[in-house]
Amino acid sequence: MAKRESPEINAGSMADIAFLLLIFFLVTTTMDKDTAYLRMIPKKVETNKPQTPIQQKNIYKIAINSKQVIQARDSIIKPEDITHLNSRIKHFYLVNRGKKENRDINYPYYGYGSIQLYKSNLQEQEARLLKLESQEVIDERTQQMIDQAYDAVAKWEEKLEMMELYAKFSGKREMPEIDFEAHIRLESFLDTDYSAYVAVQSEVEKAVTEMRDKEAMELFGMTYTAMNNFYQQKKTENTPEVRTMKKHMELIETLFPLKLIEVKPKR
Amino acid sequence: MSKFRKNEEKPAPAINTSSLPDIVFMLLFFFMVATTTKEVDPLVKINSAQGAGVTDLTPFKQRGEVDFVYLGEPMKGDVDKFEKGIAVQFDGILSQNGINGIGVWKTEKFRNKPAEVTAPQENIITCFKADEKVPMGIIFTAREILQELNFNSIAYSAQEMGNKSSYSIREQ
Repeated sequence: MAKRESPEINAGSMADIAFLLLIFFLVTTTMDKDTAYLRMIPKKVETNKPQTPIQQKNIYKIAINSKQVIQARDSIIKPEDITHLNSRIKHFYLVNRGKKENRDINYPYYGYGSIQLYKSNLQEQEARLLKLESQEVIDERTQQMIDQAYDAVAKWEEKLEMMELYAKFSGKREMPEIDFEAHIRLESFLDTDYSAYVAVQSEVEKAVTEMRDKEAMELFGMTYTAMNNFYQQKKTENTPEVRTMKKHMELIETLFPLKLIEVKPKR
Repeated sequence: MSKFRKNEEKPAPAINTSSLPDIVFMLLFFFMVATTTKEVDPLVKINSAQGAGVTDLTPFKQRGEVDFVYLGEPMKGDVDKFEKGIAVQFDGILSQNGINGIGVWKTEKFRNKPAEVTAPQENIITCFKADEKVPMGIIFTAREILQELNFNSIAYSAQEMGNKSSYSIREQ
């Protein structure tokens, strides 16, 4: 049989098909990414125990009224000057950092942990646990104490691990830790605008992230933001790299904790 | 002189369009990569708030760990019918009793979640996509309901400011 030439396919309408697809995607998709500030609502606690009052120096109160005017501690900040919050928040965190005397009494104090201190605490708790468990009769009360001791051991082990990581990367023997009560307290009114509220959230986030970035750069040669981006992408993979990154991030977060209490508005 | 011949004999050559599909496909792929699909059509007007250092929710969305609540003026219908003129939208529908429907909606959604979503209840994010003029009172009402039901993760939606340095706060 004679060889037949295969007819050429007319590709003239290919462009039309591609255009159609293109337009379909243009219509059904959006360009902007969903971005937000992640926050946690505290778990509800059923307790009637009166809470011990928190010392004033550990609170940084920011209030926004219905006219979007901000009060940060004793100063009034107009909406257009909101970026001043940044340096104020940093001041709140850093003014007493590394100081053991001549501290500013209006700002949170720092505690200084060391490997020896945490090790001795850990040993103390382990000894306590051993003693409790070796008792012949374990009643309900003892069981409670054993549980507590287990928690304490776990806590000190975690702290010791963090301290060792800090000592390894910074070469310092003491780790500055801000008072665990220190927090930013954000109050608003019932009719405060969402945009103003988010703007304050943004300033808080920015100030803390900048401090974390600086610290992470000094310790690990990488910003906290970069570490976080990496971690968020790879979170579900359980590789050693991801685990180390998580450890490093936890250390930075302990050094500069973002504790933000959002108070329900009353008026 | 034969140098100046009349042009009429030579028609303009046709432009070769065989690479046009390639160009269009390239555009198509660019848009497919750079955009995300719309899950729901918004029924409320939203001018999003501005902020710096926001977290990208894309990884959470891919894992199905985020629910969106839309708050703003309704696009259609009577504004006065809604409390304070703010309509609340859960997924595709406007809520009948405002923000108070959030509890039922979240519980239903969590019960009927797809099997591949393994996150515990308190890690499922409720993201408030609110118009910049929405009063915070509404959001705090929602927070209280969510706290009662142990949905502890929330998110305040905001657009990254980029190089702009000023927030869009309403002056009064």
